[in-house]
Amino acid sequence: MRVPGLGRLFRWRYVRPLLQLPMLIVSFVMILHGLFGPTLAPKNLATTLSWLHFRGVLVLVLLCAGNFFCLACPFMLVRQMARRFFKPRFNWPRPLRNKWISIALFILILFTYELFDLWSSPWWTAWLIVAYFLTVLVLDGFFKHASFCKFVCPIGQFNFVASTLSPFEVKVRKLEVCVACHTKDCIRGRREPVSDLITIRGCELALFQPSKVGNMDCTFCLDCVHACPHDNIGILSRMPGAELLTDPLRSGIGYFSRRKDFAALAIVFTFGALLNAFGMVSPVYAVESWLGRLLHISHEAPVLGLIFSFFLILEPVVLLGLAAWCARTWAGNQRALLSLAVRYSYGLAPIGFGMWLAHYGFHFLTGLYTVIPVTQSALAHLGWPILGAPRWTLTGLPSNIVQVIEIGFLILGFAGSLVVTHGLAEEDSPAKPLRAFVPWAAVCLILWMASTWLVFQPMEMRATLMSG
Amino acid sequence: MQRLAYVRLSVLLLLGVAALFVTECSRPGDASPVVTVEHAISPEPPRVGPATVILKLADAAARPVPGARITVEADMSHPGMAPVFEEASETGPGEYRAHLKFAMAGDWVVLLHVRLPGGQTLERQFNVSGVGPN
Repeated sequence: MRVPGLGRLFRWRYVRPLLQLPMLIVSFVMILHGLFGPTLAPKNLATTLSWLHFRGVLVLVLLCAGNFFCLACPFMLVRQMARRFFKPRFNWPRPLRNKWISIALFILILFTYELFDLWSSPWWTAWLIVAYFLTVLVLDGFFKHASFCKFVCPIGQFNFVASTLSPFEVKVRKLEVCVACHTKDCIRGRREPVSDLITIRGCELALFQPSKVGNMDCTFCLDCVHACPHDNIGILSRMPGAELLTDPLRSGIGYFSRRKDFAALAIVFTFGALLNAFGMVSPVYAVESWLGRLLHISHEAPVLGLIFSFFLILEPVVLLGLAAWCARTWAGNQRALLSLAVRYSYGLAPIGFGMWLAHYGFHFLTGLYTVIPVTQSALAHLGWPILGAPRWTLTGLPSNIVQVIEIGFLILGFAGSLVVTHGLAEEDSPAKPLRAFVPWAAVCLILWMASTWLVFQPMEMRATLMSG
Repeated sequence: MQRLAYVRLSVLLLLGVAALFVTECSRPGDASPVVTVEHAISPEPPRVGPATVILKLADAAARPVPGARITVEADMSHPGMAPVFEEASETGPGEYRAHLKFAMAGDWVVLLHVRLPGGQTLERQFNVSGVGPN
């Protein structure tokens, strides 16, 4: 926020709508092209922008900066406009104030992505975007604050976990200023002196800045920055992943080590990364065919359900259970197995992020320029060929170069996971940190080897998994 | 006032659902000219590597259509992959062949951009599902 120009921009109250508006326009273009444009995915803006560019830019921005997608989220702009007409009345139900719904939706999106081959259907991709807008409107139409962002949005949860590894964070500059502050506008909102009407919103995600730790649950909406009367909140640099090394009481969250839903989110984030990539390589078809023959099933959904259960339930339970048992036995830790598994599951997030980066980075970089001919084609079909004839031969970087970058992401993720799990082991078992660390290092190594194996598998993108 | 807001919300939702059906029902139909295009691919089943697309053009009376210019374009079903373009050559009356190279296993879509001797153009597309790895 001290960067000349940029700092002033982010301190400007209307920076969010300014960033959201282009995203909203692009979303509408994607919806229209998805519904009424070419049915072939590589020639449609809905599929090209969703499954190549959006995902790629998202993970790279998370790696290099922070959760800036949530800042520029177009769904929230529509919600803001809608809230001018209907005010939400209800608070989000207490039993649902956790991550379980969003985890289920996250898995559902991964599942439908594979089952219905969303990447190959502009029409369904467009409707997915429309469904997102409608869900936001309905939920935030009924429920106050940012209920959708905090408890429902699967993209948001992905961003929250990934942004724990980002180099920037929205945080307080000088804690002593907050201690002396009596108005607490960052959470309550800035109010008019006489009418007490809120003129600038406080944090809608219940993150009280002085006790907020890290990026988890932070949408970078900058409401707190604008509400703070002391200009004491900014987007500040920090050590990526540092928030995973400690377990303080976090505002709006509690203790990481006591939040099984957050741990489950980190597990789905990590193992889902491998699963999502596994769905795109040749061996998945052999596995599906084998399972289909073994169980005499010809429908794809149950077979896919089994694969998902293996990757997202059985594999994490076995790996984390074994590691927790070994760590407890070897290091003499008195914690319960589940408690240990919950505590260390956050340490796997870096390797999961490495896999997401490798996967989405591959599609983004190898298809980097494809948006150009697709846009040329879309404009030409509208009778407005101002960009010339589509140059379909424009694709992206050569895959052998991108593969080197992928390996770099995986090594980075592996190193990050080792650092975090080692840090947790040092804090947990100061007498025998190495013994507590080794089982988790083994889990990280297994995941890294599996990720590297996946990257070297031949890609095979079918829309009919069971055909082979 | 609040009730009115929820009515608006419900109407919005209903419009969304209606639009789903409308757009699905109004997908552009195929305004086919009176030329049929038969296609075959070799090897069958197709695998990564070279493949030959064999096309037979016939008019409404099932007579071969010679002298057409056909550009064969092969795309993967996933966006972001490089398409393959090849010109088909006429190997017999109304029969054309194009030699493609499938660079990756998976589902491919072959597009035919046809210019008939009279200058009329037509577009055809067929799926080549499950191109196997080598």
